[in-house]
Amino acid sequence: MPLEIQIQKNIAGHDAGAVTVKLVGSLDTATAPELEKQLSPVLGGPVKDIVFDLAQLKFISSAGLRVFSNVRKTLKERGGQASFVNMQPQIQEVFEIMKSLPGVAVFKDVAELDRYLAARQRSHTKS
Amino acid sequence: MRLELHATPDEVMRGVEALQEFATAQGVPQTAIFGLALALEECASNIVNHALKRDPQGKFEVVMEKSMGAFVIELRDDGPEFDPTATAARRPRAEDDDLPGGWGIELVRRNIDEIHYRREGRINVLRLTKRLVT
Repeated sequence: MPLEIQIQKNIAGHDAGAVTVKLVGSLDTATAPELEKQLSPVLGGPVKDIVFDLAQLKFISSAGLRVFSNVRKTLKERGGQASFVNMQPQIQEVFEIMKSLPGVAVFKDVAELDRYLAARQRSHTKS
Repeated sequence: MRLELHATPDEVMRGVEALQEFATAQGVPQTAIFGLALALEECASNIVNHALKRDPQGKFEVVMEKSMGAFVIELRDDGPEFDPTATAARRPRAEDDDLPGGWGIELVRRNIDEIHYRREGRINVLRLTKRLVT
């Protein structure tokens, strides 16, 4: 099964400046290098937050987790994080193995992510 | 079902797709198929990347079989002797996730009920068994 990658820069809302990456299909040993390649110019820029929308991700293996982990490491070094939304139950089970790593945040859906970002923005404004 | 695959990532996924089709046709539940597909992807990738060093001329074999209460996958390769079951279970760290025995084998353990390794002459034989609830 192929992987379709849609990368979009958010220009409004609580996550303005963040990049959303929608993945459709299978993130595996054959498709993970392509995701890594497409994320490389994104990570080369000043981005601090990347949101992965996994609503239509059907399969993931450790090859995919490694790409996520590398993104997480890069963003964490800049004080940002990798967020993951809309995970299907079986993807969530695979993800269990890395979700406790620093720089990773998992949200049930975009609404939950928005509430988190709004709260973070409020706390930044206060401080 | 028996498949001969070349040592490339695309061939690994050809094997995974063949498993998904075969298991679906055999009436295996979708949740079990996901775990079986993941285990095959991880073990076959390990063979391709570490045992056969991604040599496209290199080949390995996958045999799948469904019996009354279980689904069995057997992988055979002629790479250097390597027993993935000998890797101690541990909490993987981000820093060592590219090594054999890292996240991949942990995912196999979580999705497969029995993992057996044996060396037959110059061949590594890895047998994965998933019990099916009937």
